[in-house]
Amino acid sequence: MTGAAIAGLGITELGKVYGRSATSLAADAVRLAVADAGLRLRDVDGLLVSHGMSQDVGVSLASVLALGELDLLAEVSAFGATAGVMVTQAAQAIAAGAATTVACVFADTPLKPQERAGAAWGGSRGRSLRGLSGWSVASGAVSPNILYALCARRHMERYGTTSEQLGAIAVAQRAWAAGNPRAAMREPLTVGEHQASRWIAEPLHLLDCCLVSNGAVAVVVTGADRAAGLRQTPVHVWGYGQAHAPRQMRAGSDWGLVTPAARSGPQAMRMAGVGPDDVDVCELYDCYTYTVLVTLEDYGFCPKGEGGPFAADGRLAPGGKLACNTGGGQLSAYYMWGMTPLSEAVIQARGEGGDRQAPRNDVILVSGNGGVLEHHATLVLSPHPASRSVTG
Amino acid sequence: MSGPAFPAVERDEASEPFFAAAARDQLLVRRCPSDGVMLGPQARICPNCGGAELEWAAASGHGALVSWAVVHQVPVPALAAAVPYLTAVVELAEGPWLMARLVDADDRDLRAGLPVTARFLPSGGDGEPAGETLVAFAPQGAPA
Repeated sequence: MTGAAIAGLGITELGKVYGRSATSLAADAVRLAVADAGLRLRDVDGLLVSHGMSQDVGVSLASVLALGELDLLAEVSAFGATAGVMVTQAAQAIAAGAATTVACVFADTPLKPQERAGAAWGGSRGRSLRGLSGWSVASGAVSPNILYALCARRHMERYGTTSEQLGAIAVAQRAWAAGNPRAAMREPLTVGEHQASRWIAEPLHLLDCCLVSNGAVAVVVTGADRAAGLRQTPVHVWGYGQAHAPRQMRAGSDWGLVTPAARSGPQAMRMAGVGPDDVDVCELYDCYTYTVLVTLEDYGFCPKGEGGPFAADGRLAPGGKLACNTGGGQLSAYYMWGMTPLSEAVIQARGEGGDRQAPRNDVILVSGNGGVLEHHATLVLSPHPASRSVTG
Repeated sequence: MSGPAFPAVERDEASEPFFAAAARDQLLVRRCPSDGVMLGPQARICPNCGGAELEWAAASGHGALVSWAVVHQVPVPALAAAVPYLTAVVELAEGPWLMARLVDADDRDLRAGLPVTARFLPSGGDGEPAGETLVAFAPQGAPA
């Protein structure tokens, strides 16, 4: 079986990028990733496409890119877990001999000029309210902000987690963002400033919530042997996992407290032959600060319920014991769904982090989370080929 | 912002029994006739047996608070006049979880497990056409 590696990374202009379609940005990202790998577009025989909120890019991207005959072409949609799912599908196709060089791309343009970022999520749904779904809207739990607030509140009630502990995650990530030239927010942040930021849906403050960005990110996945002969340091895929658990809305449900990361993480780490103690860098999906906290628990970095004190002791910040979201993540850098943690993982694995390079990068854990803690994908990446022992 | 705290909701064919019961201060949920499992009003399939022939059944209207949020930022235009408002996950005594507004409550007094009771409130009005009666919850014993 052929192992897979990420051989190329392409990142377009990110943030308030106006006047470009998601398809056009996606085409740029794929071209950048292919060139970064030292390949040509005609080498690509697989393309996986992921749209975000604007849903403005699909399989027609292949013809926009003037690609020839492809052996793999699909739109992949598992919300924030999509990037990990795409790399997994690419790795499996390569292992099966179904494709050799698969570009995976995410593109989105939710931000419109002169509109607040919050309007990107559901702000334009001015329709009349009908039936039970109308009652649901009137009941008010209608946006990810509110649904994640319900999850965070549940954790607070069960385990005593505090808003200040969530704030420590935002503060640590902002400190990392200072070293990332691509980060939108690089000014230092304090827990006091986090606490003073306005409520969005209590217990979530503004600074518990991710940014919204326009742009595109692509990676090129190929066989590990082939990647070794290409331009960049290969980023080897040591393990992958995914798990999905649609919300159970009835007695006994652990919705909000335990996420599918609890299955996806161990699955990926088992495949990679590592455990949480071996992980040097975590790039965790951070639509909200709380998502980072609950993912750390579910991955086994600390016992269930202890994510608050664990995250708040400074260990996630630069100089701490566990380098986490080293580019600033979606809270401080850019919101490209699962491509945010994945792109930063590739940068760290290659040792190209500059001012924010983590001291060790042998084992990098990447998460993707989608829905409201319902979909999860995990990757274990390394600059070393998969056969290398990490426990020695 | 002017407008009703509960935006007007219209019934459709599928929700007719639910809203007709709400107008009589009764909360309907779904029940699977083959194994008796009680599910939320929007359930279509019994997660226990896979049965799709669900029927309406009256719930007691009593439950316990699972979680809640105080919504400050307007999430959709229809709720512009509602903020700030309390929205909650309630576990009915019969088992299903409902997402519903919490009324007549001070958020400082809330805790997981707090007993709550269904309230039946008008939607619309305040310059908009009246809508159906909506189900919300209040802490048990809270004055209306």
